[in-house]
Amino acid sequence: MFRSMLRGLLTHKLRLALSALAVILGTMFMSGAFVAGDTFAQGFTALFSTVNRDIDVEVTAQDTTPGGQNAQLGTPTALLDQQDVDTVQKVDGVAKVTPGVYSAGARLIGTDGKVVGGNGPPQQGIAWQNDDPLIQLRQGRPPQAANEIAINQGLSTDSGFGLGQTADVITLEPPTPYTIVGIFGFPGDRPSLAGETTVAFTLPQAQRVLLNAPGKFTSLDVTAAAGVSNDTLRDRIAAALPDDVVRTGAQVAQEQQSATSSFVNILKTGLVVFALIGMFTGAFLIFNTFSMLVAQRTRELALYRSFGASRGQVNRSVLLESVLLGLAASIVGLGLGILVGYILNKALQSFIDASLPVSGVVVRAYAVLTTLAVGTAFTVVAALIPALRASRVPPIAAMRDAVTPDKPLTRLTIAGAVILAGGGLLLGLGVAHVGDLPTWLTLGIGAALCFLGVALLAPIISRPLTTAAGKAFAWSVPGRLGARNTGRNPRRTAVTAAALMIGVALATGAGVFAQSAKAGISNAFERDVNAQLAVTTSFSQGPGANAGFPPELEQTMAALPGVSAAVALRTDTVNLNGSDRFVLAGDAQAASTIFNLKQVAGNVRELNPGEMLVDQDTADALHLGVGNQVTMRTARATPVTLDVVGIFKPNQAISSSLISSADAGGFRSPFAQQGFVQVANDSQVPQVRAELDRLFANNPEVTVNDQSQLIDQANNFVDILLGIVNTLLALTIIVAVLGVVNTLLLSVFERTRELGLIRAVGMSRAQVGRMITVESVLISVFGALLGIVIGVGLGVAIVAALGDEFLSLTVPWGYLLITLALAIVAGAIAAVLPAIRAARLNVLQAIAYE
Amino acid sequence: MEAAGRTVLVRPDHDLFTRGNQVTASDPVAARADDVWKVYGSGEAEVIALRGVSVTFQRGVFTAIMGPSGSGKSTLMHCLAGLDSVTRGEVHIGETRVTGLGDAGLTKLRRDKVGFIFQQFNLLPTLSAKENILLPLSIAGRKPDDAWFDTVIKTVALQDRLGHRPAQLSGGQQQRVACARALVARPEVIFADEPTGNLDSKSGADVLGFLRDSVKTYGQTIVMVTHDPVAASYADRVIFLADGAVVDELHSPTPDMVLDRMKKLDAPAEVTR
Ligand SMILES: Nc1ncnc2c1ncn2[C@@H]1O[C@H](COP(=O)(O)OP(=O)(O)OP(=O)(O)O)[C@@H](O)[C@H]1O
Ligand SMILES: [Mg+2]
Repeated sequence: MFRSMLRGLLTHKLRLALSALAVILGTMFMSGAFVAGDTFAQGFTALFSTVNRDIDVEVTAQDTTPGGQNAQLGTPTALLDQQDVDTVQKVDGVAKVTPGVYSAGARLIGTDGKVVGGNGPPQQGIAWQNDDPLIQLRQGRPPQAANEIAINQGLSTDSGFGLGQTADVITLEPPTPYTIVGIFGFPGDRPSLAGETTVAFTLPQAQRVLLNAPGKFTSLDVTAAAGVSNDTLRDRIAAALPDDVVRTGAQVAQEQQSATSSFVNILKTGLVVFALIGMFTGAFLIFNTFSMLVAQRTRELALYRSFGASRGQVNRSVLLESVLLGLAASIVGLGLGILVGYILNKALQSFIDASLPVSGVVVRAYAVLTTLAVGTAFTVVAALIPALRASRVPPIAAMRDAVTPDKPLTRLTIAGAVILAGGGLLLGLGVAHVGDLPTWLTLGIGAALCFLGVALLAPIISRPLTTAAGKAFAWSVPGRLGARNTGRNPRRTAVTAAALMIGVALATGAGVFAQSAKAGISNAFERDVNAQLAVTTSFSQGPGANAGFPPELEQTMAALPGVSAAVALRTDTVNLNGSDRFVLAGDAQAASTIFNLKQVAGNVRELNPGEMLVDQDTADALHLGVGNQVTMRTARATPVTLDVVGIFKPNQAISSSLISSADAGGFRSPFAQQGFVQVANDSQVPQVRAELDRLFANNPEVTVNDQSQLIDQANNFVDILLGIVNTLLALTIIVAVLGVVNTLLLSVFERTRELGLIRAVGMSRAQVGRMITVESVLISVFGALLGIVIGVGLGVAIVAALGDEFLSLTVPWGYLLITLALAIVAGAIAAVLPAIRAARLNVLQAIAYE
Repeated sequence: MEAAGRTVLVRPDHDLFTRGNQVTASDPVAARADDVWKVYGSGEAEVIALRGVSVTFQRGVFTAIMGPSGSGKSTLMHCLAGLDSVTRGEVHIGETRVTGLGDAGLTKLRRDKVGFIFQQFNLLPTLSAKENILLPLSIAGRKPDDAWFDTVIKTVALQDRLGHRPAQLSGGQQQRVACARALVARPEVIFADEPTGNLDSKSGADVLGFLRDSVKTYGQTIVMVTHDPVAASYADRVIFLADGAVVDELHSPTPDMVLDRMKKLDAPAEVTR
């Protein structure tokens, strides 16, 4: 019995191949996500273990500043001094102490006038250490004078600067010329460790321009004497320096790695979610295929039943088919996924401009097992209903015509309506934030139920639509026939269209969200930013990055002819009454004018030193009122006490407290990061802009933008996100289009005789092709329409659920039209193979076909 | 008229009745096979289905092709209709040389010159009877001649069935719809392969009577393959095939005459097997 079933499996090769393709694509994507993520993570592991390879024990100072290591700006403030070096040197078992200076804030300006590496991996600055095992001099010599530097091979290549040339480097100091006297690389002949750039100064220069702290260090690398274990040495040093952080090299590597692994995990989860959506879509295709196979083999199965095969046997054999199919497809998908993982890992690295020290791919056991299990499970579950239906085939069916008339859709429709109502209810609950589940989960389950409900309702919805389409195509014979064929098997049409619906709905939802975000951003700018011009800084990442401009330029900007108000904002994380908070420093009067600050209590006015304006949220959180005093602790200065003189309502532009520039001396960065300039008369904007451009001409990290450019930048970011989401959804759409191909191939196969007949009465190949294309496009458009309707609903639900002021509900009509147009194109593409098959049919054989 | 029809066999290039037909009376031949050979397979599996068949079908004549099973009747008909290619020889329909036509040419031939009636599954299930009848015309983008359509419908007695789907029609009605479809386009020649094979004798007689009338009254040319001597007796002329060759011919047949010839054919055929 099983053997004959197996033969049955093989005779339906093409359709099985298509379903298998759906599983293959899903599992490929999923294992690709696993492999890419693991390989990526492995790259970081390799990187950190290389970096820390020769460190037995590392000593750093405890960062007790507000925000600590998470503060993104400013120079490192947790430092060690010579006294600490001496203390460590005296510890028993210490062979050597190498004090180091490291900061992520040394930006070399390339020959094109831009900072090399831009917003990519860290642009680090270090003090040259003669015996650093990690750094290998390739050309020239170490820096010996204050105006000499050595740079890494990668930086030399990227910047175009070589030995003996002079390049400007931005540190805590403005761009300063340095002579490149050395070029170095890293173990394994690498030009950089992972794509970062490194500028090495002499030790005193590094302490001055990277830390603004002569005689201080950021870390001490300790080598153990022979026979002393790293752990022992760590404990001994920790005892000598109880206030500092003492870790073995292995511990450091471990911690650095776990910091990146959460990022890698988020990435991996995101990709896997999209893979699962693709598989969910593929399940529709598999369901359809097995339904068709079972329908076609009704006679065959009934024959087995009449031979005495039990229902269980028939059940098991159909299930066995699905297990075999699922497993085989998953194995192929896994194999391809490993390849995809390799490519994806490379793409990820190039996306963040990194080149991690890992070759090949990392395939973990869990990745293999999960992929195979999920791929097989999806296939089996999708085949379950057809299998049960197969077993219900009565032996008498062997004698009857295999094509059973369509059953009424009543039960299906009621079930669909109930499920859809449930899904809608969940969406409503999600929007209202009712219930115990997290909102995203409520919305997710609600969306999945809506998909299922609509899929079940689709057959009944399809009827009037196909009838209408038939009328619309009445002028063309192939069109009319195609439309009629679509209406012939509403269930199959519905399942095929429903698969497409999922991808389209998600893409539409994302589109509604994106458009709402863009509208929200524009609104926020228009409402809350009364400045025609803005000065923005490209933030370099990591502690030590100090991009910005001198805050004194605030007055210079305000004094420009035509300027009615100007503010330069400095930002940092500080500690207010024991709570770490983000604050801004700048001209409060100008800020109030420019950002439309609404006064809630006290006076929103010019601040004198020692005064502050608090936003309503912070005031509520810290129980502050006008006249209260706040103790502010900064990273670099002794705590100060500030008087609250006013409370304002936070808006999209300003949502943190404001202090006077005079009190910002303890901020990590001495620079302002943002400026806004209000021009009294619009006609003077170009002239003011020219002045500003001149003002910042020598600072490659600062740009002057007008409001529309700012909005464009923000919109651009939203568009990139939307693009990424839609690229990932492409998998789902491809699977759905495969489903359309599958359904059409089956139609062609089932209607061989009909096709022969219409060819015999004079239909040309082209007309047959057109007929199939109409059928395909109708299914696709039907799916797309369902998807667009649900997608708009989903988008509205998400926007409503988030209730964020940055979102202003907007439906992207153009985007929806493009989606519909793409569905038509996809339908036409899906029709190609079936249409060729149909057109190529030998008329005589088709007529004689049983 | 009945008598005239019977004598037409000898001189079929009459006539008053071809006024509906597009073809000029100057060309009396509707279809022709010249030394047609058809060989299936090769080597061990080689089957010679037709061995040098030469036959001419005059316009306005109802011809039946008979012969034992496997004698090549269907093959000959398929070759004549351009549904199958010939191994050697030539086939003409009207003035068109069918042999060597490509798909586009064959499609055009089927649109303009040929009508088909098959044994079963003649109709598209999604179309009503009327739509099925008009299908060849709409495919070709031709306008139906309303008067002719009404005449055809009246002749096949389908006036009150036009809106029905094939599934709602009896087998005999379905075959009549198929006949109407073949006739309404007024092709050069209609090929029918056992059109009554699946029908009871009453429905079969209806269909056959109708086919004969269309020949008599409207000068239609019909070539019909059949096993049934009674069906063959509706024809003006019967051609007998055996083992891929034309072995005999009868004019104005009666069922008895046909049966008699068939017996003669069957006997040696069984010996050779
Ligand atoms: N496609 C084919 N391949 C190989 N041989 C074929 C093919 N079609 C027909 N034949 C052979 O050609 C011969 C003639 O077949 P054909 O179908 O023309 O017979 P027929 O007279 O119509 O018989 P029947 O009365 O049974 O329909 C037979 O021997 C048959 O086996
Ligand atoms: Mg035959």
